Amino acid sequence: MRQQDVHLFLLGVSHRTAPVDLRERLDFSSGDLGAAVEALAARRAAAEGVVLSTCNRSEIYLAGEDSARARQDVIEFLAGFHQVPEHVFLPHIFTLEDAAAAQHLFRVAAGLDSLVVGEPQILGQVKEAFQTASQRRCAGPLLTKLFHWSFAVGKRVRTETALGEGAVSISFAAVALARKIFGRLAGRRVLVIGAGEISTLTAQHLRSNGVGDIAITSRTAGHAQSLAEAVGGRAVDWADRMTALASADIVLTATGSQRPILTREQVERARKRGDPLFIIDVAVPRDVEPSVGDIEQVFLYNVDDLQSVVEENISRRATEIARAEAIVAEEVARYTAWQRSRAAVPTIVALRQRFDAIRRSELQRLDGKLTALPPEARARVDEVTRLIVEKLLIEPTEQLKALSDEETQVAYTEALNRLFRLREDEATAEENESAKTIRES
Amino acid sequence: MNLLPLILYAAAGVAYAMHFARRQPAIGRAATTLLLFGALAHTFVIGMQTMEVRFNPVASPSRAVSTFVWLLTLSYLYLELTTDERAMGVFILPVIIALQVIAVVFPGMANSDPVLNSGWFWIHVSSLLFAYASFALAGALGLTYMLQFKEIKKKHLGYFYTRLPSLQILDVMNWRAVTVGWLFLTIGVVVGVVWTAQARAVSPNDPNLQAMSLNDPKILGAIVTWAVYSFAMFARQMLGWTGRRAAWLSALGFAIILLNFLPVNYFVTTSHTFQ
Repeated sequence: MRQQDVHLFLLGVSHRTAPVDLRERLDFSSGDLGAAVEALAARRAAAEGVVLSTCNRSEIYLAGEDSARARQDVIEFLAGFHQVPEHVFLPHIFTLEDAAAAQHLFRVAAGLDSLVVGEPQILGQVKEAFQTASQRRCAGPLLTKLFHWSFAVGKRVRTETALGEGAVSISFAAVALARKIFGRLAGRRVLVIGAGEISTLTAQHLRSNGVGDIAITSRTAGHAQSLAEAVGGRAVDWADRMTALASADIVLTATGSQRPILTREQVERARKRGDPLFIIDVAVPRDVEPSVGDIEQVFLYNVDDLQSVVEENISRRATEIARAEAIVAEEVARYTAWQRSRAAVPTIVALRQRFDAIRRSELQRLDGKLTALPPEARARVDEVTRLIVEKLLIEPTEQLKALSDEETQVAYTEALNRLFRLREDEATAEENESAKTIRES
Repeated sequence: MNLLPLILYAAAGVAYAMHFARRQPAIGRAATTLLLFGALAHTFVIGMQTMEVRFNPVASPSRAVSTFVWLLTLSYLYLELTTDERAMGVFILPVIIALQVIAVVFPGMANSDPVLNSGWFWIHVSSLLFAYASFALAGALGLTYMLQFKEIKKKHLGYFYTRLPSLQILDVMNWRAVTVGWLFLTIGVVVGVVWTAQARAVSPNDPNLQAMSLNDPKILGAIVTWAVYSFAMFARQMLGWTGRRAAWLSALGFAIILLNFLPVNYFVTTSHTFQ
């Protein structure tokens, strides 16, 4: 099989092309992704296959010789695997080939195609998709190269642009702020007053960032107990909340109280030392008196403040999109150049074999004369002739790999094939033989 | 001779500014590398000068400034390499470059007053220079702390918020820099007093030594500086003045030092002006 005949093919549905109920029906991520990859490979639609599936997309990447067949096969596979009739999803699929497919994967890995642009999970999901396929030997040389390339693109975009920067959810924004105030959160003490959805989420994020102690208090002791179990904290009596406040670094309030439960006076009395205190008030109406924020070393954020941080971050991300797209474009150009240089490989190999064959046959012809030489000298002759052949080939090899467009490359390969009779080598050899036989007879 | 380090420092300064604005890791590494080469060249220059005048790299205002720049660069590099935070560079490099420009523009004369030919004098000046370098770092840390503090407190998370290390790190580094600076300032002042007493006994007719008192603006400046930083240390330990207040004090302290170090050094003739 000649390598330049291998094409990249992509078929998928994403949040851009399909409604959520259809995406759910075609989702692989909730079930066994490995089984899906194996089922796909078993159809032998293409030599290589990777299935990428998240809640926003299901995409199937193939590398094979026949894109038309691959398309039909993947459609049948989707319909069969998910038990969804073709006509239901056909209007919502998109297909891409070669450079366009590579570009799509690079954009996905960079977070440019995500619902929340720049979100960080997608790169991990792309890696997981590739590993799943790779472990089952479904990803061959082309997809391996392509996916590794996409990881590098994702990493480049993250380090060179601010696309993934700034939290875009309230709980992440709160954790990011805590990190800006306290640095590493390891060993920090958290006090949660009242249990709610946002405070639970934020407490969980804080926990995964390594905070030391999470104390939870609520007017209803049972709520505190169950939240404590959920986030790995300890419940504290409502009456002892001011003692807990004294030693806390981060306070999360989320009670349903109609009146403030923390006043400036209370906080000042509880905080004798000048250590910073970060208060996150996610309750509506607010739990903390606004003037608490005027205390030196107290940082008070309510839900609206966090919301506006989130909005600012989203708009800041938008300004980074152009830079990220430029990186993707650059990498796609490099990828296609690599693809082309790869297409030249068979010609280069044939050329080398041809030259080496000539060298060997000449050495063989001279064998009788060379036997007179000592063994070292013979080895030297072999070495020198080999080096000559290699040096002769270096420049043409480099030039051929570096050709910038496909048309020129085809023309050059063709020229080389003819000039050195690379492809019809065997055929012509046979012809000559038969011609000889005829003449002799 | 001081020009080569200056060029390297200036190049590093540009790179730090670019890194701060664009946050590309490669530019950051280039900035650190340039600064390292600058420090290396500077070490060579100071070493050569020390050998040339046989003893002292600090015995003229410009050499003292140049040595101060060198110490500041080394301290900053230590800070950067131990914390892996590059954002401070953009605040320190302007100080380094500006002072090195002064050292280049006013090369000054090496003086050969035999009174200065003493180990005490050497300890006195280099302790003070090292203390000032620490205070310069503390001042820059304090300044950045205040910038960041303001953005977080006012809930306007902008340019500095995304670039600077956390408040906690800035505060801890500031505290360390102030402590180290205070220690060396104290050593420098005490050694100065001891050495003056000794030198007076050895050369009773030296006019400079006789004139050394609190009326000397340079000595007064040093005492004020010592008072400010002693208060900063006390306030942090006893009054809980951490964070913004500590940051503000260290910025104020460094402003006083600059005032004491530059105009007084160059334009006012004091008992410290040896001929």
